[in-house]
Amino acid sequence: MMKKMVSWSAGLFSFILLLTACADDTSQQNQEEDENQGSESSAAEEDATQISFIHWRGEDEEVFDDIIDQFEEEHPDITVQMNIYPSEQYQSNAQQMLRDGSTGDVFTSFPGTQFETINNAGFFTDLSDEEFVNNFADTSLEVGQSGGSQLALPYQLVFNMPVYNKGMFEELGLDVPTSWSEYQEMAETLKENDITPIAFPGADIGPNQTMNSMMMNNAKDEDVFAKLESGEETLTNEWWTKTLEDFQYFNDNGYFQEDALGTNQDSAMQMVADEKAAMLATGSYHMASLQDLNPELELGFLPPITVPEDEVEYEGIHTATFMLAVNDNSEKKEEAKTFIEFLSQPDIASQYANETGQHLTVNDVEYESDALQNTSHWIDEKDTRFQPRYLITEASVEDAVLGSIENVLGGTDPEEAAEEAQQIVEENTN
Amino acid sequence: MRISKTIYFFFIPGLILYALFFLYPTISAIFYSFTNWDGISENFNFVGLENYEKAVTGDSVFVKSVGNNLEFMLFVVIFQTIIALIFAILLVKNTKVNYLLRALFFFPTILSSVSVAFIWTFVYDPSLGILNQLLSLIGLEFLTQNWLGNGNIAIYSLAFTQVWFHAGQMLIIFVAGLHAIPFDLYEAAKIEGATKWQTFKKVTWPLLAPSATIVIAYTTIQSFQAFDLVFAMTGGGPNNTTEIISTYIYEIAFRGYDFGYASAISVLFMAMIALITFIQFKVLRSNRVSY
Repeated sequence: MMKKMVSWSAGLFSFILLLTACADDTSQQNQEEDENQGSESSAAEEDATQISFIHWRGEDEEVFDDIIDQFEEEHPDITVQMNIYPSEQYQSNAQQMLRDGSTGDVFTSFPGTQFETINNAGFFTDLSDEEFVNNFADTSLEVGQSGGSQLALPYQLVFNMPVYNKGMFEELGLDVPTSWSEYQEMAETLKENDITPIAFPGADIGPNQTMNSMMMNNAKDEDVFAKLESGEETLTNEWWTKTLEDFQYFNDNGYFQEDALGTNQDSAMQMVADEKAAMLATGSYHMASLQDLNPELELGFLPPITVPEDEVEYEGIHTATFMLAVNDNSEKKEEAKTFIEFLSQPDIASQYANETGQHLTVNDVEYESDALQNTSHWIDEKDTRFQPRYLITEASVEDAVLGSIENVLGGTDPEEAAEEAQQIVEENTN
Repeated sequence: MRISKTIYFFFIPGLILYALFFLYPTISAIFYSFTNWDGISENFNFVGLENYEKAVTGDSVFVKSVGNNLEFMLFVVIFQTIIALIFAILLVKNTKVNYLLRALFFFPTILSSVSVAFIWTFVYDPSLGILNQLLSLIGLEFLTQNWLGNGNIAIYSLAFTQVWFHAGQMLIIFVAGLHAIPFDLYEAAKIEGATKWQTFKKVTWPLLAPSATIVIAYTTIQSFQAFDLVFAMTGGGPNNTTEIISTYIYEIAFRGYDFGYASAISVLFMAMIALITFIQFKVLRSNRVSY
């Protein structure tokens, strides 16, 4: 029995060794082939300086691979090693990676908390005097500034406000509402036609996206969250209780689908793609996915109007999904800046925009798809404000704000929810 | 018998690993719990007991997360233990069907927690989810719920998933424990005219105590460590109703960049698990018998 076991184990071990050897052999063979094929280019690459580019948007990998190839062709003395991390992982680990300067010569930063933390740690290189800063729209730059210096350059521009089905509106003879009363009329008409006005993904991103457009005209002061964190404002004041009351109104009157807090973004997108809902309460970054699900959809933006027409100051919300920056601990800062300069050229930026289906902050970008063309006028012609949520610098305060929305959608009275949230804010800011 | 000194060298690899992956992080956490380190900067200040004071007296979300975690743990320990025990008794005989059923019940354990979270998020979806659709189909529409979106029941929905995920593992421990009980004790009980319940109470349960101790202690620790499932399914929401201690520590450390405070909560968390496990061992050990 023992002998049998030993011989079986030995056999298995030999088999595994054989497999490993074969695998090694194959990979070595492939490597050799690759080396032979690229002997000329590898000689050049040996002399080239390799920079590391880290970011978090997995969906950009293909287009960035192509752009990097073009960059390396134009700059044979520089190669780019790109690493993409899942966004949660990036949010938690990027700072550690940037610390010793060997990773992330060029890196991306979220606006808001992450920008503040990286700034406090001193990992941003000041880009204020770089020529390529002029390639970006002036109006978009502020979010990457601190202490009068341009530390990061917003690249991808998104509109965090509901996307609506234009074709459905035309069929039902609905106009885009410009006041609260018109908005209510529109929602009632949709409901009469058995269509949910807004598909709200309350289980994940619904509250953090929709809070921006819901509050944009309730709290016109763009420093309201800075004041909240410094104790000059409270969530129990009208700007926030009114916003919570609006959420309650939308929920209680069936503007959101039933059980909105249990619906995730995939389910909400499916509702809009199936034309069971007229609007998706997320943002422009979902337009491409919606059109993949239903190519017939013609889309536009329709932020909620929560005030009378004469009180409307802001028409929508914009934000930078990510900002490009150079690691101050890097020893290859010049090469890193060359790469950012390349990304900010209109033809390269246009390629990125069209292949990812996103708007950009770079000047002179030419959008090809109908969806991007139909909505690009929001960049210059509409009065949009920067996403207020990203102006909250304390994660615990942001959680309290979002928690109060979830609380109201769960049935709690807005004032009570605001008080509960304010208590958390005070615990974490005093 | 004289033990050669050489034998002590064999402890070294294990000790190094233990020191590197357990002692060092633990000591570091205790050290940083007295600081305001943000996890990135090289500089930090000592803040004494400030972090502990905040956790105990000035952080309502932490208090809520402890409460949620205890609710989650109690639900999982009670139901997982009972379900695993019942199925172990039903499947204790070594027949081909029982082998197959044990393997089936064990199957969820080998899945990754993120896969389990994905499956159950879909099951619980209020409009597209299979659970509500099934309830409607069999005429129990009044039982349909917003399983993860309703703050009153979301923590129990997560706990149920945890039970589904790990009950099979505990079943195997109980089956092993049942097989270790001498058969002549059951024969003696039968001759004495004991009922099935009396046999269970006087023979099976007392002799299963060592297995039960392992199951309950392990389930408790597992319940406190259910980070991935909770994080992937609800992220602690809605409104912190499913926030448990481990997800809250993650929030503070990696979203709030307050490693000092997160370390203080981790130390309190460690002490809490140690205390609960110690009490369980004491209580269950006192129930042990030998015939």
